[in-house]
Amino acid sequence: MSTLALDVDDLHLTFPARGGDVHALRGASLKIEAGEIVGLVGESGSGKSVLGLAALGLLPKGTKPRATGKVLLGGEDMLTADESSSRARRGSYITAVFQDPMGSLNPSMRIGAQLAEAAGRSVAPAKDQLATMLAATGIADPEVKLRCYPHELSGGLRQRVMIAMALARDPRLVVADEPTTALDVTVQAKVLDLLAGAARERGTALLLVTHDLGVAARICDRIAVAYAGRIVETGTKSQILIAPRHPYTTGLLASRPRLDGAVAGGELPTLEGQPPDPRRPASGCAFKVRCPVADSACDQPPPVQIIGGRRCECHRPGSLAGWPAASSAAHAETGRLVAELARHQGDRVSVPDPALVLANIRREYPRPKRHPFAAAPEPLTAVNGVSLTIRQGGSLAIVGESGSGKTTLLRMAVGLLEPTEGTVTVGPGAGPQLIFQDAGASLTPWLPIGRQIAERLEALGVARGERAGRVLATLRAVGLPAEAAGALPRQLSGGMRQRAAIARAIAVPPALLACDEPVSALDVSLASQVLNLLCELRRKLGIALLFVTHDLAVARAVADEVAVMSNGEIVEHGPTAEVFADPAHGYTRELLAAVPEVAAAA
Amino acid sequence: MSTVTTGSLESRLRLRLLPRRRELPALAGGNRAALFSALWPVALVTAILVVLPLLATHGVQEVVAAGPFRKPSLNYPLGTDDIGRDVFSRVLYGMRESWLSALAVIAFGSALGALIGALAGALGGWVDMVLMRITDLFLALPATVIAIALIAATGPSLIHTLIALSVVWWPWYARIVRAEVRALAARPHADAARLAGVSRSRLILRHLLPGAIAPVVVTMSLDVGNLILALAGLSFIGLGAPPPSPELGAMSSQGLEYLLAYGWVPIAPAVAIAVLALMANLIGDRANRRLDQRTT
Repeated sequence: MSTLALDVDDLHLTFPARGGDVHALRGASLKIEAGEIVGLVGESGSGKSVLGLAALGLLPKGTKPRATGKVLLGGEDMLTADESSSRARRGSYITAVFQDPMGSLNPSMRIGAQLAEAAGRSVAPAKDQLATMLAATGIADPEVKLRCYPHELSGGLRQRVMIAMALARDPRLVVADEPTTALDVTVQAKVLDLLAGAARERGTALLLVTHDLGVAARICDRIAVAYAGRIVETGTKSQILIAPRHPYTTGLLASRPRLDGAVAGGELPTLEGQPPDPRRPASGCAFKVRCPVADSACDQPPPVQIIGGRRCECHRPGSLAGWPAASSAAHAETGRLVAELARHQGDRVSVPDPALVLANIRREYPRPKRHPFAAAPEPLTAVNGVSLTIRQGGSLAIVGESGSGKTTLLRMAVGLLEPTEGTVTVGPGAGPQLIFQDAGASLTPWLPIGRQIAERLEALGVARGERAGRVLATLRAVGLPAEAAGALPRQLSGGMRQRAAIARAIAVPPALLACDEPVSALDVSLASQVLNLLCELRRKLGIALLFVTHDLAVARAVADEVAVMSNGEIVEHGPTAEVFADPAHGYTRELLAAVPEVAAAA
Repeated sequence: MSTVTTGSLESRLRLRLLPRRRELPALAGGNRAALFSALWPVALVTAILVVLPLLATHGVQEVVAAGPFRKPSLNYPLGTDDIGRDVFSRVLYGMRESWLSALAVIAFGSALGALIGALAGALGGWVDMVLMRITDLFLALPATVIAIALIAATGPSLIHTLIALSVVWWPWYARIVRAEVRALAARPHADAARLAGVSRSRLILRHLLPGAIAPVVVTMSLDVGNLILALAGLSFIGLGAPPPSPELGAMSSQGLEYLLAYGWVPIAPAVAIAVLALMANLIGDRANRRLDQRTT
């Protein structure tokens, strides 16, 4: 009997679907030793979550997946196990923590009852035992929390409850699928540390599935990189982070914005292209079309190379020292097209007026009265006396956690919301535009992209005959093919949708482009492309950027000024480099410390 | 893609980018295929029912030579009634009338309801308040009482029954459209359209209302069966077209006294009502499935 907690060997998983089978996994192999913490990192569609589900024996039955290979949990194959034995394994041998704790908890049951159920012993554990389990995940007042319902707890606390439930029966392996993605950055750091600490204390192995190398770097012993349904590289954390051998890993690492990167440079290296369509898997190496060192050998399936416990599937492992900088041909092409767009629209009048002035603005939300005759309760103050100025072509990032009022501030800046007090003044020219976090939701689902861009041109009085040409020029400038004009939003990928939203906003360059977490829903490689594009647009078209983000590394990559927001107020404001080098406010320091950084971990 | 195969990509795209004049805004975009797939059975049944009276062997009011209370036979497939009219022919006409009446009430109800619901949902504030209270008011009116009042004032007629039903039917559509439009108005795409400078009327017509089509069509198609039953019910208690007209509910109620002796007289129209309602519900369920799949 081996000491492996999980042994996935040559796992192929195919989901039959109309329009071609989806090859979710194409021979993935991953071993996890007992008590080991392994990060499984990859972009969306890489198959990382499906691998976790396969280990749990939770593959969606309705989709009738075809599976070959082995998924061994302590000697038993979860692929061939029947329902009752795989259920028996879940809970005692393997448990899970998912991204959305609200969806995993029963809303009509108290925490204590759910925890007792998860503990699954024949006799329900005593109250104080349950309280000890909660306390072990760092929950204060565990006795009180046991009597709470899930909606009475914050997101971070719910996720801690999920962790307590996952660990309740001392399993040998916990699969955590994006456990902290929905949490604020400071809470994220605490929950990750706690998860790792609890696993180590009990000797439980942990499979951490995440899209964020920084998250994996924070707590993992080993990191596995998934690409197009295979595990392309596995190694210890420092091997992967310092000396990656697979070009994909190199690219992933390079395209991440860093806390010590260039300020507002917009020169992030990018992984151009997209992962292959899982319906049409590439022959040979799946990464060859995006790989800077690919040659004719890469048309063959890559050999598996194992050196000292390090596994890499590549024809030319280790041959790429660093990812080429973004000033490649593609980048220059974008620059040229944006410049063309600028010419097309005539030179912007350069006036000294700032792009945005917020003068002591305040926004209150009334709270409902308890009963019709009650005195009006104190209103909720979302933004409390904020003053900011962005010069023409300037760039300001507002960072802060959810509930800090940053989105309310942004909506007031673009005019979607009236301030209760204070004034908002925007610069001359086309009205301010907003890029939303969820680009898909910001595009009208039943109107073709081109129409939506043309609508804005029409509203600004562009002659009918000119509109089509302008739409196409704008699409080219943001790196979309002309065919995108006729496509509906759902026919585009997430990254393309965000570009389409940007295209609409810049079809007539506004004085101010406000961005609400524009890359937080995108994969790293796409995020760096979009960030570069925004910086490029700012430089070439003189658009001022107001950028809201929770990610300090992203803020550094785009903004020359940073304002830190907490409880509706700006607690620190200054040039990006200064704020990062010498944070004056305690909250800023806390935020900085919480950023999952690759460099610090390696 | 349009059928233009020559010309540059740009000119082909131009065709799609610029608003086509005569296009129904409500059908813009990719809804059409799903809508068609959901609704063709309605069109088919309507077409069949419209031409069905061609099969009638006798006129609606014609008293046949064979006399009253004839058993069903080859010449009179469903027999003859108390004054010797061919029941089969009358049922065919009655089915057509029931079906078309139901469609008329739905068409009126959904049009008025969509207008009021869209205004209330998109404008919000006091407009919403006033329109929705009016809606509630109409919803509180009992169709039967309105029909009785109208008929007492102006005499029995099919039109009056339809008016009475329409008056109480549209508020449901207003509520559905309002809820849908309100939810859509709070979505980022509505904010984005506002920021793009889209006018208020266009915002409602092109960015909000099309999102309400699917739920409205589902409700419409499920409503056909309800309306057929409601109409039959009103005409059964005498609140429909006056006696000689071939109305299924009225025929059934007038024939009721002969139920034991000459069962076919009341039963044939009753079965026709059941068939129509069943068909309508099957079509409605199908539309529901088709359009629900698409929206998820």
